Amino acid sequence: MLEIQELSKTYGKTLAVDQVSLFLPDGQVGILLGPNGAGKSTIIKSIAGLLRYKGRIRIQGIPAKQLEAKRIFAYVPEIPAMFEALTVREHIEYVKKAYGSAITDEEIEKILKRFELDDKQEKLGNELSKGMMQKVSICCALAIQPKVILLDEPMVGLDPKAIKELKDVVLELRNQGVTVLISTHMLEMVKELWDAVFVMDKGHIIGAYNKAEVGEKDLDSLFFEVTGGEES
Amino acid sequence: MKALMYLTRQSLVNNLKKAIHKPATLLLIVFLTGYSVFIIWALGMLGKTMQTMHFDSAQGLVVIVTLWSLYIFLGNFLAYASRKGIVFRPGHTHFVFTAPINPKLVLLHSAWMNYISSVVANLLFVIGGITIFGIAPWKMLMFFLVGCVLENLFECSLMVWLYTNENLTENMVKILSWVIKGFLAVITLVIVLYFRREGITLVSATAFFDWPVLQMIPFVGWNIALYRLILLGPTMLNVIGSVLYLCSVLGMFIVAYRMKCDGGYYEEAAKFADDYAEMRKKKRNGELVTGVGGKRRSFRKTQSSYQARGAKAIFFRQLLEYKKEKYFIFSKMTLFSLIIAGVMALSMYGGVKDSGVPQFFLLGLVAYVTFIMSGYLGKWEKELQNPYLFLIPDKAYKKLWYATAMEHLKAFLDGMIICVPIGIAWKVAPVYIIQTIFIYTILQANRLYMRVLAQCLVGDLLGKTGQNVIRMLLQMFVLGIGIVIAGLIGLFVNPNLIFSIVIVYSLIVTAIIGLVASVRFDSMEQLV
Repeated sequence: MLEIQELSKTYGKTLAVDQVSLFLPDGQVGILLGPNGAGKSTIIKSIAGLLRYKGRIRIQGIPAKQLEAKRIFAYVPEIPAMFEALTVREHIEYVKKAYGSAITDEEIEKILKRFELDDKQEKLGNELSKGMMQKVSICCALAIQPKVILLDEPMVGLDPKAIKELKDVVLELRNQGVTVLISTHMLEMVKELWDAVFVMDKGHIIGAYNKAEVGEKDLDSLFFEVTGGEES
Repeated sequence: MKALMYLTRQSLVNNLKKAIHKPATLLLIVFLTGYSVFIIWALGMLGKTMQTMHFDSAQGLVVIVTLWSLYIFLGNFLAYASRKGIVFRPGHTHFVFTAPINPKLVLLHSAWMNYISSVVANLLFVIGGITIFGIAPWKMLMFFLVGCVLENLFECSLMVWLYTNENLTENMVKILSWVIKGFLAVITLVIVLYFRREGITLVSATAFFDWPVLQMIPFVGWNIALYRLILLGPTMLNVIGSVLYLCSVLGMFIVAYRMKCDGGYYEEAAKFADDYAEMRKKKRNGELVTGVGGKRRSFRKTQSSYQARGAKAIFFRQLLEYKKEKYFIFSKMTLFSLIIAGVMALSMYGGVKDSGVPQFFLLGLVAYVTFIMSGYLGKWEKELQNPYLFLIPDKAYKKLWYATAMEHLKAFLDGMIICVPIGIAWKVAPVYIIQTIFIYTILQANRLYMRVLAQCLVGDLLGKTGQNVIRMLLQMFVLGIGIVIAGLIGLFVNPNLIFSIVIVYSLIVTAIIGLVASVRFDSMEQLV
């Protein structure tokens, strides 16, 4: 469960996010949509604890900045940044130690295999391509075995096989009761995944929909309906 | 903590493993060995100088420690206050700041390099204290304990307090920074003026550093008082100062321990990590970097159009970019040239002028600046990273010329800034000043083309350092021949010919190297 109440964030005199509230229950996939500069990244970084903000963010009911909340929360940033001198496997070992994760070696192998990293475990962080870094970042997030996971533009840089695998993973997580929030521009990529969608513009949520309520309407129509743009 | 220790340990181990397999490591070992020999020699010289100046006593060490404490303590304070004193990497933002690790622990662990520096500095003090200043070992042991335990405890507490203090607003930090910078500037000015008037002797230094006010400055002054207590014995002032220091260490520790921290500083730390990564990238590319971060660059608005075909378009595009820059083509190198000109013109004024051959001193200075300085890289270096350069339908040598033409112009202007004031001050004949400006410009061009050539020859095999070493060796070899020829002709035929020969020879050599190096502009793929 992810809960945001009256979240506001300013950079100097610029108000990036203004009084945003949203709620995503267990076992649901939420999509954060919006044009560039809408405030999506600010919300995501605030949830991840990388920014100061006003308002309340709770993960499974626990304030997001508390260590108990961080322990059950995983984050896949838009631009992954590896430790240059750590191997792929060592990144996962670090995550396992830092989060006290109960993931077994067999489960780690399985995740790595799904993202075709099983033969690249000894590669150092600075030897990886952007796509590979993204895969490592996803694997690290999964190694936490989180209750809430945040994915910021997760499909960028991934090959078709990895995109398909990621979609499957998201659906599996949903079935396990994990809350998933995805920020993306690629509407096409998430159309079969979403349960709730939050459309943002100029620091506000200007539309929030549940799949159950909108019936057959697809994501594109909803987005262009609320933003006033044209569907291509 | 376990996870952070794992992170540091594995990074160190992997870095070592990687270093063993890199050819550049061999170069680094050779350099470090040479540097160690130099340090030992320098220490010996320092010891002799100290003896000559009668500085080889506890009083002498007190002077050095006082200066060290003032600048290091206040410098660190400045860095921590602006939340830039600890090195974070983008990997920290991704994997550490989001992890369930106490933010205070993240802070304390990430400062491990600072602790190592402190231990190394204190070890040097201990060795110097016993060998050069003749202090009893037990006193230096006490000194070491104060430096490594108390000082680090105070510094860590201060670091935690400054990083995690959410009541410390940006404006307060700015004001505090200016006050400290002002204080350091005043202290420096007072020290310079004082020693200029009194001369650097133990008596004058002791008289200055015995000034009671220095021991009364909160925290840093009290710290100095404790060192004085250990090295010189008790006085009323240093005992009071020492007690105050011990109380402040304890007080600061309690404050830092009780300080609430939910990771607010991650916002600045993440920005610092990005800025630091950017700075490292620039350094790796050989750019002159003077700090981390800073304000976002602003560009001037300019209205100009240009018509150029082929490779010529590269030059005009660069010109347009420079027009948008705040200081046009003038850069930190221009400022550096101005400083060199000012310092050299004034400091060597008498001796050079009376030597009878000031033009050769000017020539030597220009050669030194060209060889030793890391040099300036303008927009041309970035051209090579741009695939569009290779798509322009023109000849490779033309691309090289137009991509670097602006650098030659910049070198010419910098050469004028260096040579004209120095030449006038040293009473060098105008014809030699003009010739030296040309020599400077050609040498810089030579250096630039050599750099491209070195890239062609060694590629990424030896890294940027390796490329620079190869470049320096090549340049020394090629220009060395010219210098020998010019020297011989000067000696046996006519000394007035030296300048002309240097110009003609380096021009021919530079043109040839330029032509060879232009291969690099033909294909994006490196030859090695």
